[in-house]
Amino acid sequence: MREASDRGAGTLNETDGGRLFALTGATGFLGSHLMAGLIRAGHRVVVLGRSRNGTGLADRVDALLDWFGLESCRERIDAVEVDLLEPRLGLSRRRYDTLCPLTAGIIHCASDTRFSERCRRESMDINVAALHGIVTLARDAGAGCFHYVSTAYVCPTSPSLCAEVPAGPRAFANVYEEMKTLAEAEVAALCSRHAVPYTIVRPSIVYGDSATGRSNRFNALYYHVRALQLIRDIYLNDIEHHGGLRSRGAGIHLDDEGTLHLPLRIFIPRRGQVNLIPVDHFVAVMAEILGDPRTGTIYHVTSDAPRTTEELAGYCERFLRIRGIELVCGEEMDRTVQNPAEEVFNKLVKPYLPYLADTRRFDRRNTAKLTAGLSTPEMTYAVFERCMRYAVSVNWGSTNGRPPGAM
Amino acid sequence: MDEALRIAVNCRHYAMCKIDFLGTGVCPSGLAHHYVSFYPEGRMDLYAALAKHRVPVTEECVRIVESCDLCGRCDKQCCFITGLRPTRVMEALRSLVAAHLAAGRPVERPAGDLLLARIRDIVGERWATNDPAIRATYAHDPSPLALFRMPRYVILPGTREEVSSVVRLLRDAGVPWAARGNATNLMGFGFSEGAVLDLNRMKEMEFDEKNWCVKIGPGVTAFDLQREAAGRGYRVNVAEPAALVCASMMCAGIVSLFSTAYGASADSHVDAEFVATDGSFFSLNEKNAPNLYAFDRAGAESPGICCSLKVKLHPVTTDEGGVLVPFDSLEKAIDFSRECAVRRIGIAIGVLGTEYLSSFMSPSVRLALEIRDVLTGKLGMACAVLVLGDAYALGSIRAMGHPLIDQRLFTTLSLGLPSLAGAQWLDLVAALGEDEPFSYLKIGGFADLAETALCPSPSRLVQDFDPDLRQVYEEAYSRPDLTDLVWLNMFRITSSRVGREKHFLPFLMYLPLDHGLVSEVSGGLQAIAGAKGLKNALGFITPVDSGKRCILEYDYFLDQNDEGEIERMRQAAAEAGALIDDLSDRTGTIRWMRYIFQQGYCRKENLLYA
Repeated sequence: MREASDRGAGTLNETDGGRLFALTGATGFLGSHLMAGLIRAGHRVVVLGRSRNGTGLADRVDALLDWFGLESCRERIDAVEVDLLEPRLGLSRRRYDTLCPLTAGIIHCASDTRFSERCRRESMDINVAALHGIVTLARDAGAGCFHYVSTAYVCPTSPSLCAEVPAGPRAFANVYEEMKTLAEAEVAALCSRHAVPYTIVRPSIVYGDSATGRSNRFNALYYHVRALQLIRDIYLNDIEHHGGLRSRGAGIHLDDEGTLHLPLRIFIPRRGQVNLIPVDHFVAVMAEILGDPRTGTIYHVTSDAPRTTEELAGYCERFLRIRGIELVCGEEMDRTVQNPAEEVFNKLVKPYLPYLADTRRFDRRNTAKLTAGLSTPEMTYAVFERCMRYAVSVNWGSTNGRPPGAM
Repeated sequence: MDEALRIAVNCRHYAMCKIDFLGTGVCPSGLAHHYVSFYPEGRMDLYAALAKHRVPVTEECVRIVESCDLCGRCDKQCCFITGLRPTRVMEALRSLVAAHLAAGRPVERPAGDLLLARIRDIVGERWATNDPAIRATYAHDPSPLALFRMPRYVILPGTREEVSSVVRLLRDAGVPWAARGNATNLMGFGFSEGAVLDLNRMKEMEFDEKNWCVKIGPGVTAFDLQREAAGRGYRVNVAEPAALVCASMMCAGIVSLFSTAYGASADSHVDAEFVATDGSFFSLNEKNAPNLYAFDRAGAESPGICCSLKVKLHPVTTDEGGVLVPFDSLEKAIDFSRECAVRRIGIAIGVLGTEYLSSFMSPSVRLALEIRDVLTGKLGMACAVLVLGDAYALGSIRAMGHPLIDQRLFTTLSLGLPSLAGAQWLDLVAALGEDEPFSYLKIGGFADLAETALCPSPSRLVQDFDPDLRQVYEEAYSRPDLTDLVWLNMFRITSSRVGREKHFLPFLMYLPLDHGLVSEVSGGLQAIAGAKGLKNALGFITPVDSGKRCILEYDYFLDQNDEGEIERMRQAAAEAGALIDDLSDRTGTIRWMRYIFQQGYCRKENLLYA
């Protein structure tokens, strides 16, 4: 039983002001921004989560509040350590009961976002099996609505517009997509069985704050830019400190203007685009959904103006001061002789290829109905640069920019 | 404690100052006088004994001091392995004795006795002594289990006949004795209150190539034998480089990664000649000889002194090489090593812990600690399996599909260690291994990129050393030997670095190559050491006899001068012994080295299965 390390256990209720939401995944990227958004909107949040690496949930949440500048709002957070796979979330009956009557809505953000087949079991546990306990809590708590945060990439890859409708089985790009698809079906089934109202929210690829550039996670879009930066730095270091013999051997050189010429072909199956939304937009849309949820509704939180992979490659070149990135479509990578940088980078991006060569377009009529007047910020170079500058300034999360409790 | 004394009391007794492993030469005084007292190791002990007033300044003490010209060879050798600078002790020893003489204090000369005179009649005046300055250097080693035992005499016989006569004489006089090689066993063996017979003068080496063997005297070191054998195109299965081969055999048989192919115990030799404890001679190949091929699980008394050993020569092919196969769990590594052994792939196999691996590769303690963290933390490596073999064996390893570190990448990593520790690009590596641990090693261009990133360079590698030593170490690392997986494991030069940060007590045993049992043993040993606050780590695991059994080494570490740690180590060693005894009784398949002591000549099958 997990009460020992809980903070403010059972002290929140709706009469304290604002609405009360239970939130899972609050130490993750989307969850933490949602938590901050809810607090800023005057709501109160019961965070359901786990300790990690010896750091209790309350401390992890505190670190996040510090990062968001919400240190003064700690009394509006109730951190409860739970195990979503256990009956009553691993809580004693008494603790569970004190939790239950207080919950108006539950937002389930907790997720295992790894793509690897090796993680299938953990992914199944966290993404699917855990739903039973959290939906049961929604039932027992009389939650106004159960909001499930999914992904836009459960939608099939078809030339037609991807509708905001339940997704069916198909050939999945990875375990994550497969589990999220299963999870959506499970949410629908469990919520229907328990008569719990629910929504499903499907964001596309989320990056940092479009206005400030801040982020507390540096995967997805950041991952590729960082990989390019690290590869660039290997050659820059060779050129600047070790004579550059090996770089020259690989056809890499630094020009007079300080731009690194780094021939790097990225092999993608087809020309595509990357659907990106900033996290501030995601939070804004969620606020609308939470304010007026329509049960059984699926909401796409996506961009109508996705950037092409070429455009993003150009952003990377400009930001990193490199030249030579070339997108090669359709060729079989394994049959092409590659330089070391290409081999390593193409291996790195392999799991992400479906998203670099994506052709899906997302219908977002349900979302648009709720969010009239709320437009998706475009990923311009200025936004890209702002976000990446921030990432570099916090060394991609390895310095103070990373909330320690979140890791 | 002054710096010289701090260095002196930290001598590990690895005897690396007695072999020329860097090609920089060996202490000329030691080579001329043979007593360990004239080698840097002995001088360190002598200085500590003088500083602690355990011995007076004697005639031999003055001779020992005068024989050292402060040439600095010992610094090159010792610092490379342990990080210590013995020359500072040599200088302090010289100053101490000079001050003693300048003050007009007495130089003692121990009184002779009749027994010493009779011993000298046998071995010659020069080769037996009761001088405390020499005796003190034969009185202890850094083992926490060893007590200071000052012998009455130190004797250096030169022939087997002299050995026989001395043994008879000591027996008749009722004086106990112990035979000593280079005392590198680190377990407190080789000491006696009576006489210590140092066999270092008996360095004969006689190759019999048509019969694939070499006959050696008991003073031949593993390094010297391997070097001679390698020069003729052969290999021998030997232990630590400064260990004397006969002594290693006597102790517990030869344990090395090559035991996978070359076997253990009696597999290593063709014949051996002994002086029995009554002074008589026998050889193993005589019908009426004592049956040293048998093995007694309860332990055995010494059969005498091995005065010559016919060691097997093994053929070497020109296409030999090595690979390291990393694993994220010990269990997977054990299974892989067994698969190789069962399929008879490779001539040497070892599952190496990251503590072992990082110590071997790193020229300094600082780098070793950083690299260990990189291996375990950033790369997720629990251990690696080293496999040496010919091109066919290495081809088979590749065909098995495991990601691996080949010779080229190993050289890059070894010479690029300073850049590896802080390399941000290692973060990429973690991501690359998400689908399959270490799969980045399968990327064709990875070695190239690593080479560019790490900028491997002998000169950068040696920057942690004092400036006056860098040139010689840079030259050493510029030769292929010190990054060649085959050479490193044949000569085991850097193995002693495992005791560089702290002295270590190894627990060695034979047991089935089963990951459940190995985990139980190593987990139990880990728990005991952990409870005592002692650093501990898996050393190595080597399959033997086609993977039916393995040799396991688990190491406990201690500050050899910290009384508290010594006491905790003694307690831990007792508990560890009880654990191993208990597991041995329960399984019936574990053979702890403690009971193999003095039975190293036994038949492997008797040891493992009888």
